[in-house]
Amino acid sequence: MRSLRALLFRIRGLFRNPAADREFDDEMAAHLEMQIADNLRSGMTEEEARRRALISTGGLESAREAYRDRQSLPLLDSLFQDLRYAGRMMTKNPGFTAVVALTLALGIGVNTAVFSVVDAALTPLPIPQPDRAVMVWTECPKRDWHHFPASIPDYEDWKASGVFSSLAMFGEDGFNLRIGNRTERVNGLRLTPDAFAVFATRPLLGRVFEPRDAHQGNDNVVILTESFWRSRFGADPSVVGKNVMLDGVPHIVAGVVPKPRFAHEDLYVPLVFLPPASTDRGSRSNVVVGRLRPGLTLESAQHRMKDISERLAREYPKADAGLSASLQPLEEALFQDAQTLVYVLLGAVGFVLLIACANIANLLMARSASRGKEMAIRAALGAGRGRIGRQLLVENMALALLGGVIAVVPAFWAIQFILSFHLDELPNTELVSLNSKVLIFNFALAAVTGILFGFAPLAQLRKTNVNDTLKQSSRNASGGVQQRLRGLFVISEIALTLVLLTAAGLILQSFLKFRAADPGYRASGVITMRVALSGPQYASSQRQLQFFNSAVERARALPGVVAAAATEELPSSDNFHASGFHIPERPATRVEDIPIALHDAATIDYFQTARIPLLRGRYFTTADREGAPAVAIIDDWTARRYWPNQDVVGKHFKMDSRQYEIVGVVGNVEPTILLAILKGRAAQVYVPVAQEPKPAMTLVVRAAGDPASLVAPIEAALRNIDADQPVFHIQTMEQARVADRAMQLLATSLLGGFAILAMLLATIGIYGVVSYSAGQRTREFGIRISLGARPSDVVALALRQGIVIMAVGIAIGLACAFALTRALSSLLYGLGATDPWTFAFTTALLAAVGLLASYIPARRQTKVDPLQALRHD
Amino acid sequence: MKTDVWQGTLALMVLKTLESLGSLHGYGIARRIEQTSGEQLSVNYGTLYPALLKLEQEGYIASEWGVSDNNRKAKYYKLTRAGRKRLLEQAREWEQTTSIVARFLSPATSTGNGGAS
Repeated sequence: MRSLRALLFRIRGLFRNPAADREFDDEMAAHLEMQIADNLRSGMTEEEARRRALISTGGLESAREAYRDRQSLPLLDSLFQDLRYAGRMMTKNPGFTAVVALTLALGIGVNTAVFSVVDAALTPLPIPQPDRAVMVWTECPKRDWHHFPASIPDYEDWKASGVFSSLAMFGEDGFNLRIGNRTERVNGLRLTPDAFAVFATRPLLGRVFEPRDAHQGNDNVVILTESFWRSRFGADPSVVGKNVMLDGVPHIVAGVVPKPRFAHEDLYVPLVFLPPASTDRGSRSNVVVGRLRPGLTLESAQHRMKDISERLAREYPKADAGLSASLQPLEEALFQDAQTLVYVLLGAVGFVLLIACANIANLLMARSASRGKEMAIRAALGAGRGRIGRQLLVENMALALLGGVIAVVPAFWAIQFILSFHLDELPNTELVSLNSKVLIFNFALAAVTGILFGFAPLAQLRKTNVNDTLKQSSRNASGGVQQRLRGLFVISEIALTLVLLTAAGLILQSFLKFRAADPGYRASGVITMRVALSGPQYASSQRQLQFFNSAVERARALPGVVAAAATEELPSSDNFHASGFHIPERPATRVEDIPIALHDAATIDYFQTARIPLLRGRYFTTADREGAPAVAIIDDWTARRYWPNQDVVGKHFKMDSRQYEIVGVVGNVEPTILLAILKGRAAQVYVPVAQEPKPAMTLVVRAAGDPASLVAPIEAALRNIDADQPVFHIQTMEQARVADRAMQLLATSLLGGFAILAMLLATIGIYGVVSYSAGQRTREFGIRISLGARPSDVVALALRQGIVIMAVGIAIGLACAFALTRALSSLLYGLGATDPWTFAFTTALLAAVGLLASYIPARRQTKVDPLQALRHD
Repeated sequence: MKTDVWQGTLALMVLKTLESLGSLHGYGIARRIEQTSGEQLSVNYGTLYPALLKLEQEGYIASEWGVSDNNRKAKYYKLTRAGRKRLLEQAREWEQTTSIVARFLSPATSTGNGGAS
């Protein structure tokens, strides 16, 4: 406590008070005079008395110094002195300060931005013991299928196993909600009441679901999420217990819950188990989440699930052979989609910062070389090595912190840029901000970089010999160690840049490939929009068919429309319908070997409207109606894969225990990005919607002109048929195609930007090193020229160092790139992670830029006047 | 040749001096210490005043400006309540230390006592 009190006094003393200094002087004067008076009394002469007094009291100046040190904190005091000096140095060289601070601000800013995104994404779920919540997936190791949904009977067996204290099943769904006289499309989850136990959700108002809500007849209840309740119901507490029209059926609002942050849903309705899905082990459309029973570790739970899966596979070989259940911590599951992107970005911004640091260290070393003399003078005047080192470190820290302050600006921009992509894959984007944690990270990073590059000039300080430096007439003292160190910095810059450049090249090329690729249909000039029919009036499939037939007819009748059709799913949709696919005349295969077919119901004009070419046979016709033999069109890949070298038209296959006759073969369309989870290609089957009506379809309308201009007239036409059916997912076919590629687009833009930044920095680095060392050899070149060396010889000599640095940097960079670009694989389209052309191109680009950066200063040496050069110090 | 006062013990000497003489100025404290030591110690201001400042910062002594015997303006120091407590503690510690050291330095008595304790 006493020492704390003293510290406070001393801190106060830092803000030096002139009155305190005067007081000390007075006290000393009094002391001296009393001593003199005593001496006089003992009989000395006045002169003698004064002399003796001065001797016995000691030096006044050193006493004052000691007193001042005690008055304040000497270390801090000199720190302030260093800071003042650092400030002077910064303002004296504003250009240098600006270059360093801006380089650093960019390097730190992008790191801060990515940190804020990652930090938000990894925020623990707002539920108790989030680490006990797990997803339970179906997986098929033989097909390399993971993270698949589960069937209801399997779920019930898992639930009875005792591995979980609660286990819930849920699925995403869309709903038509009528508020007042307006119907809108909202997102929701159908879930079993156990979900509220898994997430330990407490209602804000009313109640959560109870087991009886999941029984047919009791299930017309809905729970609203808080944000939805606030925005649509004005936070009206009396809404609980009232009816709302959901999909044309009155539902009682049971309660309002705070939104768990794991999905973008507006409301919840009970998931009711109805036949045939409730008894069909092969029908898997909902996912399962549970809470592990207390005391059970994830590993032991996984073991128990393996035993259960083996038992189910034996008991129900037709559905479950070869399948097993896998557990995945919920938080990991939420993060996994964005994982690759996040790791790639973290790596990229880390590289950018390292390159920035190497560059700044380089600049600082070049500058401290020219400050060698200043340091020598300081040393000669008695500054210790530690003192000079501390001053340099303070200067560099001050620079770094200045960079850290400016970094907030690029960090803010980068965060806005990343958020503008609205990535669904990234959890908790609403939490991303420049909050205090992020700012602490920002400044801690600035401090670390300050120390990192601040040590570079210190390394050379060790070598300073005061006498030699002062004697040197040259304006700068060069050291071999320093040159080697600078060379190493540039080599690492080049290596890091090559990795970034290659990664950016790969992802840019795959994005361009994707844009240029022929998807198998003509996406331009087509507007699409979706309708999901709801309400008792559409209970029969005939009414559903009638609606979409008249919707297509009315759309086709609009001016400016070339063709119109409807399809169950767009080719690029992230929703797809897959079934087992059998060919009757071939032997049945084991369940895990059954081929998978994706099926899509479409109106007869779908292929003409989307311009999917017919290769053989015929399109659907009006004759393919209810009651007529079931027909199907397959794509070229399916025809070649399952009926190689045969005329497939007229052949049959079975799907969902229904037999189809193949009437035509159309061109392949590019599979949706989500198909990657099926690992490999699946058969594609189209069926006429007249034979298999669907309640939700997407209208596909080809325009003569701008497709966007058709949105309003089509919407009006649909409202004319039924104003209660909202239209949603309005987008052009081109937008739909790139919609799922937002992650790739973001990665392309960011990596591209980082790579350009890195290349700029590395170019400056190599230019600096070559021009510096060439400058050091001016006299040598002058002699060579005067002895008859040709300009090209001089250029070659001056270039040599640059070439060696480039070659070593590129070799290391290539090795790193080969090892690291693999991480990009899941973001790439149409090329491998070690695509040789990309590697060759980026290497050539960097080499060319680097050579140019070395050639310019090398070339300058040939312009040297030999006489001038010989006089050069 | 006079010895410079040892840093560690100066604070104790200052406190003791102020306890026995009450309020006193820096010069008086220095003289008193030198006299008490039988002129074997010398106290110069480079050591005395920082030590006084430290004690004041720690709250063991307080200072005020006053007038000396021969009508000079001088800064007077006096012991605070905390200073008195501190003096007792320090004196006890010091006695303990010196008695331990003394035992080490006089082997005859130390062996005799060693058996007894």
